[in-house]
Amino acid sequence: MLRYVALRVLIALVLVWLVSTLVFLVLHLVPGDPAELLLSAGNTAPDPEAVAQLRSQMGLDRPVLAQYASYIADLTHLDFGVSLRDQNPIAPELALRLPRTLELILAAALIASLIGVPLGTIAAMRDGGWSEKLVSLLASAALSTPVFVVGTTLVLVFAQWLGWISAGGYVPLAEDPARHFALLAMPAATIALPLTAVMIRMTRASVLEVLEKDHVRTARAKGLARGPIIRRHVVRNALVPVITVLGLEMGTLIGGTVLVEYVFNWPGLSGYLVRAVEARDYPEVVGIVLVISFLFVLLNLLIDITYAVLDPRVKLAK
Amino acid sequence: MTLKMNRRGFLNTAMATGTLTFLGAAGLRAQEGGTLRFGLSAYPPSFDMWASTGTAAGTVKLMIHRGLTSYDPQGVLRGELAESWEVDDAGVWTFKLRDATFHDGKPVTSADVKYTIEKVGAEDSTAFRRAQMASITNIETPDEKTIKLTTAEPIAVVPDWFAHYHMPILQEGSEATSTVGAGPFKFDSLERGVSVKVTAYDGYYKEGEPKVDGIEAIVYSDENLRVAALEAGDVDIIEYVPWAAMERIEENDALTLNTVPGPFMYLTFNGTKAPFDNPLVRKAIGHAIKREDVVAAAFYNHGAPLSHLPLDESSSFYNEDLADGWDYDPEKAKALLAEAGYPDGFSCTMLSTAQYGMHQSTAEVAQAYLMMIGINVTLDLPDWSTRVQKGNEGQYDIAVMGTSADMNDPDGLTTIMDGSAKPSFVRSFGIEVPAVTEALNKGRVTFEQAERKKIYHDMEAAAIEQSPCVFLCSRAQGYAMASTVTGFSNLPGQLTFYSGVTLEETAKG
Repeated sequence: MLRYVALRVLIALVLVWLVSTLVFLVLHLVPGDPAELLLSAGNTAPDPEAVAQLRSQMGLDRPVLAQYASYIADLTHLDFGVSLRDQNPIAPELALRLPRTLELILAAALIASLIGVPLGTIAAMRDGGWSEKLVSLLASAALSTPVFVVGTTLVLVFAQWLGWISAGGYVPLAEDPARHFALLAMPAATIALPLTAVMIRMTRASVLEVLEKDHVRTARAKGLARGPIIRRHVVRNALVPVITVLGLEMGTLIGGTVLVEYVFNWPGLSGYLVRAVEARDYPEVVGIVLVISFLFVLLNLLIDITYAVLDPRVKLAK
Repeated sequence: MTLKMNRRGFLNTAMATGTLTFLGAAGLRAQEGGTLRFGLSAYPPSFDMWASTGTAAGTVKLMIHRGLTSYDPQGVLRGELAESWEVDDAGVWTFKLRDATFHDGKPVTSADVKYTIEKVGAEDSTAFRRAQMASITNIETPDEKTIKLTTAEPIAVVPDWFAHYHMPILQEGSEATSTVGAGPFKFDSLERGVSVKVTAYDGYYKEGEPKVDGIEAIVYSDENLRVAALEAGDVDIIEYVPWAAMERIEENDALTLNTVPGPFMYLTFNGTKAPFDNPLVRKAIGHAIKREDVVAAAFYNHGAPLSHLPLDESSSFYNEDLADGWDYDPEKAKALLAEAGYPDGFSCTMLSTAQYGMHQSTAEVAQAYLMMIGINVTLDLPDWSTRVQKGNEGQYDIAVMGTSADMNDPDGLTTIMDGSAKPSFVRSFGIEVPAVTEALNKGRVTFEQAERKKIYHDMEAAAIEQSPCVFLCSRAQGYAMASTVTGFSNLPGQLTFYSGVTLEETAKG
């Protein structure tokens, strides 16, 4: 078991390294020069001499392989380096922004589970009835509405019409907890909406499948009440595939909350990544992608472990 | 049934929590006070005060720092750290400094100015004004308050050089990223990528200014959210108002929209390959595009057609006789194409970007009109960074570009029109019109106003004839604010991005 986990971790690390190398090399192939871009902000023509100076200060006049070597060397002692633009250290910035994005995703996953699992179960129980149709209709609508539409609509209604809440922004939890959660509500709800739809569909399909299983029939036959059957024998067993999907969806969200962070001015990791890519800030981009891919791999590992908790038949050591 | 109960119970709880959260938020909205909240369009990419780091960074610099000169709300050059200046017959400029102090209380002296000029013009400099400062051959500081500048040849626009927001005077010995300035506001704190806070400097040299206790500049990259934040009262003033929202803001009694016609859209060409090495072809394109449609499509009619050089009607350098230099005339365009040897047109690519709506819309309208004279245009719409690179390397046939000039003086068009300079995405690739380059060089060293006007008139005539680039329209550049905000001005024409200088006069009301 321990050996298995160790092997998995090793493979994960190699994967993460491959991803970072790939990103580093691809970035250098993409057109766009960080020095030129920085000095031509505001669409002005920069002084060519100034650009040449900045290039050399940024270390971009060295061969790509030399840049890569020093980058990997720094990375081995966990030094993520500094931003090309303002020499801001990258590691603290990652440490600051990653929890914000994780909080957003976790809040969304919580909302999606709390709404999606019960609704999905209802839909399965009432298969063919009007409530099943209604739930399915809502799920389809939620799934097919783009996040920027949902986000912009929420801002319009709650910030501009009703004036209940600021139009986006972020306040640290320690500074003002109530305002922190108030600001979290809209972006989390926006991400949660399509996620809820996925949860409803997965739960419904999974519950329907379990309902047909022998052990459910047996439970019914021995006269168990409906409530306990659903709770103990149906939902619990139906949750395994649902959690897998939730986990995978959360993994993609770590780097995929770009639009939501943008629409709500949530200073998380995705927004950081977009600005770094736009500026071709190589060390920043690589650092962020490294963290995201690491988390993605970690999440997959966690899903496997959760399986075992929920379904004793799944064994880690195989 | 159990399930029903659960569902109802769940829904009730969810609704109750949701409602509570939102009710809680209503009482927690930002408090009114003496702090002006400014919605920025971008976070400064760096705090190098002398580097060209964009207009949003420029606004932040104008809160903290001051140059020797600046422009007043009417766009007239005025003194800041310099209270007066004069030029002698040999072209030596003498600046007299006023009694101003840096935020640490130390006086601003000629040594600080000398230090700034030397650092900006130094060999290892990455500054915006590097070339200009490097052209200053001698700096004399006869006393603490006087500085004399000698340039290789006499230059008329030296005082304008020091008005730029990327040319603040920093304290002797300080780093380029120093936030200790002589401006109206002291740097307080920042959250990278999110906000910058400044507080009023009580030792500022202008009596009774600044009028607010401080400014919190909050970044809203999404233009719609920026407007929403203003409408919701989260911020008091925003820059870079999106054109689609201008009408709505104008109709809102609680808000004020302040726009000036300034920045402009134009087409650049790659002159290193046929057919754009031919002035007739370029001029034909200038006559082929109906500019009203560009204004409508890209700027929701908040702009004006531009069929001459971007010298505004209000400018003393405006030339009435050349105002319709590139008038919309498809027949003339076709005739010019035929004369150039392309009676049946040709195919080419047009570089723009999908990242900014105004650039893409301009390209689409231009494409449609060029089709009508037989030019088959394929659009190339990469992200902005790639577009910049392709522009610098000449990887295009025609390109759409939008920017503002450095100043309202025609010399501010140098970076766009001077084809003798190294290639840049802001100007055409490999097209040098000697008459234009010569006029720019001559205008810069000519002091007599009437003579300058003639030089730039002839330059405009040559530019229209040779069409090194073709101008399409000017756009309304806007700030929007709560109606209670007073004293903020949008500087005219090309100076619109200097408007942050009036934050010292801005009050919340």
